[in-house]
Amino acid sequence: MSASKVETKYSSRAKRWKLIFFGLVALLVVVILLSINIGTSGISYSEILAIFGKQIPGLNSLIDPSLIHGNNETIILNIRLPRVIAGALVGAGLAAAGVMYQGVFKNPMADSYLLGASAGASLFFTLAVLYAGTLGLTLIGLGMFQIIAFVGAVSVVFFVYFASRVGNKVPLTTLLLSGIVVNIFLLSIQTVLQLRSGKDVMGIIAWTSGGGLTSVTWTSVLSIIPFVFGAAIIAYFFSKDLNMLSMGDDTAQHLGVNTEKVRQILLFLGSLVTAATVSISGVIGFVGLIIPHITRLLIGPDHRILLPTSTVLGAIFLIACDAVARVATGASELPVGVVTALVGTPFFMYLLRRKKTSYSM
Amino acid sequence: MVVLNVDGIECRYGSVKVLENVNLTVKEGDFLGILGPNGSGKSTLLKSISRVLKPHKGAILLDKTDVYSMKSVDLAKHMAVVPQESNIGFNFTALDIVLMGRNPHMKRFDMETEKDMVIVKKAMIQTNTWQFADRPINELSGGEKQRVIIARALAQEPKVLLLDEPLTHLDMINQIEIMDLVRDLCEKERLIVLAVIHDLNLAGRYCSSAILVKNSTIYAAGPLEQVLTSENIKRVFNVNAVVKKSPVTNSPYIIPLSSMKTACDRKCSIHLICGAGTGTLIMKALVDEGYKVTAGVLNELDTDSETAELLNVPAIIESPFSPITEQKKLQNREFINQAAIVVVTSVPFGIGNLSNLEAALEAVKKGTKTYVIDEIPVDERDFTSGKAAAIFAELSKYGAIFIKRPIELPTLVNATHDLIKLQASKQTDIPGHKKDTLTACHQKNGEKA
Repeated sequence: MSASKVETKYSSRAKRWKLIFFGLVALLVVVILLSINIGTSGISYSEILAIFGKQIPGLNSLIDPSLIHGNNETIILNIRLPRVIAGALVGAGLAAAGVMYQGVFKNPMADSYLLGASAGASLFFTLAVLYAGTLGLTLIGLGMFQIIAFVGAVSVVFFVYFASRVGNKVPLTTLLLSGIVVNIFLLSIQTVLQLRSGKDVMGIIAWTSGGGLTSVTWTSVLSIIPFVFGAAIIAYFFSKDLNMLSMGDDTAQHLGVNTEKVRQILLFLGSLVTAATVSISGVIGFVGLIIPHITRLLIGPDHRILLPTSTVLGAIFLIACDAVARVATGASELPVGVVTALVGTPFFMYLLRRKKTSYSM
Repeated sequence: MVVLNVDGIECRYGSVKVLENVNLTVKEGDFLGILGPNGSGKSTLLKSISRVLKPHKGAILLDKTDVYSMKSVDLAKHMAVVPQESNIGFNFTALDIVLMGRNPHMKRFDMETEKDMVIVKKAMIQTNTWQFADRPINELSGGEKQRVIIARALAQEPKVLLLDEPLTHLDMINQIEIMDLVRDLCEKERLIVLAVIHDLNLAGRYCSSAILVKNSTIYAAGPLEQVLTSENIKRVFNVNAVVKKSPVTNSPYIIPLSSMKTACDRKCSIHLICGAGTGTLIMKALVDEGYKVTAGVLNELDTDSETAELLNVPAIIESPFSPITEQKKLQNREFINQAAIVVVTSVPFGIGNLSNLEAALEAVKKGTKTYVIDEIPVDERDFTSGKAAAIFAELSKYGAIFIKRPIELPTLVNATHDLIKLQASKQTDIPGHKKDTLTACHQKNGEKA
């Protein structure tokens, strides 16, 4: 490429990024609509549109009520729509957290569960199901299990973080290793509990090693909206700093980044959004690891576009995988985490192979 | 006038003091070399100045403002750092990396503007990196990568530039180009430059002043010529070195001779009859073995006489291309009389230097242990119509030892030296050795013990 072309390419970069981002948002809307159409009771697109139209004041008088059959309105609005929105939020949250973690740790193996959010949520969920499963309590309309899983995820991440503190700094390698060993430790406890319980633990295993969006309600969806949007938007403020963190801490600081503060904020946001998503969907693997990589392969490493694009791609990806999980095996659903891995791996391998040069994060 | 002050700092890693009582003032236009052996605290000093390692005592002042009271982003507008090594996690392009140098001048949501692009392009052209602006940084060679990092530092438009061993991965041409560039920036744009440099010759060529860091503190500081002396180098690096002024670059250059650790003290004196470069390697080998070496008579401008000067070997020097005068002959005999061993190299003999050979014969006759290196047959280097060959025959007759290969000499000399020591301690005579020399040698060794 000639030098003048480089300049043109860079000066049009902001415009190109906007185009990519809003193109993906449009794609997300399309995927949401397509996904709502998928399910055991066949509901046509015209009926779906009529149902949506009916909800909009001013437009509802124009909708012919005969277009809407039986309890399809309830199926669409209270079962499929919250589930698809939940899929979008969980996928977005996990992918955004993955970008933050990989950026902060400068490590391609990092994902949103690195600091123990999944292990903490799983252990607490297991405990709750095994020993309080009959309580069935709700708190401000939220399922007790969701709250317990969230508390588990957050408390374990905080434990790992503060246990890795040396003086008033948290060395990254220490943090990374603490995260890994605590993950393994908690997983072992969880296995012991499940084996010794003598109960049917299939439900727990599905939740802790594949997750699913079957039990989401509007309340649980609404409860994680602030986490996902909040984390993604605040993290975007720091996307330039993430670029510079990849040069190493000292260099980032020499370029004007308050490294310790930025890192704390991003780890906090990433952990919080992971905990929130895990609490409603169970442990869905792969999204937080692979979506950032796929996005990087497609559009490059600059976090100013990587973070927003990964977030939207994560949403699209998880909605699609959930749709597959719903219909793939007919009678019983697959855990969505299984689908993410089965679908995502071949696609990722294809991208890696297609890339001519070696891929370094 | 921008001034950087290091005011009595002390730094520690845990309880280990790595810098102590360091004071330094650097003004704009100064190119300061930070020199010293590994582990002396040079990099720590840079870390401390660049706000990475806060000193336990003292302060770093940039224009009277404590850098540790500044925000990172404000300091980054004034100070840029080129680290020893850059490990870049993601595969950014070279241009991406240099654009990051504009970060301290941008607001949080700004994209880089045309103006930023102009500054970045200038920095990349200066560092000769613009032609691969769109290449991924991790696919560049070590030297190219380092130049990109320097371009990033320049894109910050700093007043202070810190370089931590910036030349480690660079070949000769890159080293010179980068140093030329840095010196230009320093002089023309009045930058303050502080560079940790291991290559004393490069430091000597480019820095305007230098500090020598030894054992966590500054051993010497000041204008380059005052700091880079062979005495200072010996004290700080434990290396015997010669410091000369290069007639081409008009800057000091350093020739390291030997580490002081390997040299042992053999107090015996050896006189070398050589010339035309035949004595250079032997002279160096004997000096390294710790002998007190003398040489003569040599002609000025002869390779061996230059070597003698470099190695501080006392030598009797005759004017260039002149026959040896009576006076020099006497001086040379003086040296030979003090020597325990005489060595004659495979030097060609002509009328001009035949008297050296005659002096060697005198020594043999007096009983001084004499080695003759007979690498090239004497017929081939006798330009005196047989006179030299005749003396060679005499030498052989009176007990001089002829050896074929110069490489054997140090071993033989060492053996002789040890024998002399041994025999001297028993106070008996060895055939072929002068008693008084033995005693002199013994006494000197005795003094040392």
